[in-house]
Amino acid sequence: MSCHRRLSTLGVSLVALAAAGGAVAHEHDGQSPGAPVTSVREYDVPAVRLVRADGKVVSLPEEMNDGRPVVLNFIFTTCGTICPAMSSVFEQFEHRLGTDAATAHLMSISIDPEQDTPERLVEYARRFHAGPEWQHYTGTLDASVTAQRAFGVYRGAKMSHAAVTLLRAAPGKPWLRIDGLVTPDQLVREYRDLLAARSGARPVSSRR
Amino acid sequence: MTACHQALGLACLFVGLAPPCRAAGAAPAAGVGEAIYLRGVTGAGAQLVGTRDDGLVATGVDAACVSCHQRSGLGSVEGRLSVPPITGNYLFHSRDHDGSVSSLPYVESLHGNRDPYDDAKLARAIREGLDSQGRPLGYLMPRFALGDADTAALIAYLKELDVRQVPGVTDTLLHFATVITPDADPVKRAGMLDVLEHFVAEKNSFPFKPSPRMWTSGKTQYSKSMYMANRHWELHVWELTGPAATWRAQLDRHLATEPVYAVLSGLAGSNWSPVHEFCEQQGIPCLFPNVESPVVAERDFYPLYFSKGVLLEAQLVARTLLGDGHPAARVVEQVYRAGDSGEAAARALTAQLAGRGVTVHATVLPAGAAGRAVTLALRKAAMAEDERGRALVLWLRPADLATLADVPAVPETVYISGLMGGLEKTSLPAAWREHTLATYPFDPPDRRGVRAQYALGWFAFRRIQLVAPEVQADTFLACSLLADVLNRMADNFARPFLVEQLQSMLEHRLITGNYPRLSLASNQRFASKGGYVVPLRDPGGKRAESNWIVP
Repeated sequence: MSCHRRLSTLGVSLVALAAAGGAVAHEHDGQSPGAPVTSVREYDVPAVRLVRADGKVVSLPEEMNDGRPVVLNFIFTTCGTICPAMSSVFEQFEHRLGTDAATAHLMSISIDPEQDTPERLVEYARRFHAGPEWQHYTGTLDASVTAQRAFGVYRGAKMSHAAVTLLRAAPGKPWLRIDGLVTPDQLVREYRDLLAARSGARPVSSRR
Repeated sequence: MTACHQALGLACLFVGLAPPCRAAGAAPAAGVGEAIYLRGVTGAGAQLVGTRDDGLVATGVDAACVSCHQRSGLGSVEGRLSVPPITGNYLFHSRDHDGSVSSLPYVESLHGNRDPYDDAKLARAIREGLDSQGRPLGYLMPRFALGDADTAALIAYLKELDVRQVPGVTDTLLHFATVITPDADPVKRAGMLDVLEHFVAEKNSFPFKPSPRMWTSGKTQYSKSMYMANRHWELHVWELTGPAATWRAQLDRHLATEPVYAVLSGLAGSNWSPVHEFCEQQGIPCLFPNVESPVVAERDFYPLYFSKGVLLEAQLVARTLLGDGHPAARVVEQVYRAGDSGEAAARALTAQLAGRGVTVHATVLPAGAAGRAVTLALRKAAMAEDERGRALVLWLRPADLATLADVPAVPETVYISGLMGGLEKTSLPAAWREHTLATYPFDPPDRRGVRAQYALGWFAFRRIQLVAPEVQADTFLACSLLADVLNRMADNFARPFLVEQLQSMLEHRLITGNYPRLSLASNQRFASKGGYVVPLRDPGGKRAESNWIVP
């Protein structure tokens, strides 16, 4: 664990240095952000137990594999910048899908589970007017880290996190990973394409 | 900015922008700017509205500048996202001819690669999302629907955020205070002061040297002012006297005569509230005092604690008793001494158990009670006609726990506070240990490892006597964290920045003393979130990570 921490710390320092240098070129006054990067990935959903915001202890694979398409992100409730943006996008996604939203499963997993109790998740969900198909999860630190690692989002410390959204049309299908801040329009489009592909229809937009 | 406004701004800085400053006839604009920046409320009392390119709208406190640009206005770095500083200096400063902005204190998210703003261009940035050169601002920066008066007020506030001079910071020295309340334990006090004095002396044994400065351009320059980290420390010991109602006035007087930059460590008896409120209202970071019963106010900014102490322990007891919704006990008897930390703990536990089908009784030992009176009270509390479904919770110190040797009837289920009564070294009689669970807000000794060894080695080398190991370890940890965070601050003195940097760096630390891990963020005041419940019949037994409970 300490070895991981040291490596993570080094990694984080490098990322921070890169960010400080990179920040001059990106995401700043006068520069629009780079477009989000999409890629297709395979992930093994780890068999961890998480605690849902309603207090129920659940199995992550069971939550994810109930047949519904999944839209997944990782947040923490005291995050000031990235998480409110990502959660606003989920809120808008629900809004724009309208009645179709009920067939999706939006999942937000806390990367600060010791602070993010179920009560705090409920409060956070309320901030973004989460519908019943959007659930927030916490649990032990170990379970959260295992989930983060499984989806390639673990950065060692919550302040080092980045915006990532993951979509999967159905259990057994590959995941679409979107690195960067995706707009509601983009997310809705990617989601619809993904569902169309699942049912065999030709996707509306081409994908890399 | 008028001279009047400037003077007001300076005065505000000296009292940390506390309400009294505004009350003293401040221009209306000052309050409005702050309300927009910190709370997302406009001059008319309406919710601030911020809109981003993709149509995402944030309102009120979710739109407030502070969320991204921080209380100090110096911005932050979150992963790959860099939020720039927006205090007046950073916005209005002209570029040097090599493109850098070398005379301003270094902040990680700083870039000077643009023309300076003026008031008009800044208003345009806030309302239309264009930078000083007309280019679109970063994607996350919203456009704000603000009228002229509100925009002017906000811009004035950004100029107020510039730090000109901070109390307790001189060219060569940083002044800190440690606060000790009159009911603090004398042995803990001595142990804490021993650690503080050694740490400060050692810090000051390093000679002054000029501070090199590096810029993103890779050039190195020697700073005109000395880095925070290189300054020497001066420690002021503020010993409070008399009743708690008088402490705030004493603290204000101390501050007036010996201005300090931050409050470091410190020691309470059962009450730290006046000190917490002093720090929050005066805008002074209050760094990890040794308190058993802290003030729980997650949305406060300046006070930081290692853990919730006995309040956490009460939550641990409640969590263990209530289990998975089926209470392990129907009746809980609590015992505490009036006026001691146990009183707050008992109150917290009663609140946790309210409405859960558990009856809670309390036996209160008067503050001065001793000898036979204590024995009788404890015997009464320990006895019960029906032991089933009953738990005894003792919020007592070692002296009272030792008295239990005269109480032969041991209940089935007993809880003690490890923080108050001691863990492995508790004076609880052997017959009682068999049935007792101790709550503990730290790692038990078998799990501490190198995280805690470091401090012990440090103490041993300097021949510091371990008279109060947990307090001394926590004091050393507070000093180390302060030293570390000053390293990150370059020559930036803003007090809120100290808190913000601590929040950013804390999670990366490997040496976390007696705590398994430490972590903070905005709206988080307690760095360690959980504890253990340890069966005393086998205190040294191996404990799995899964026994760590976060209530």
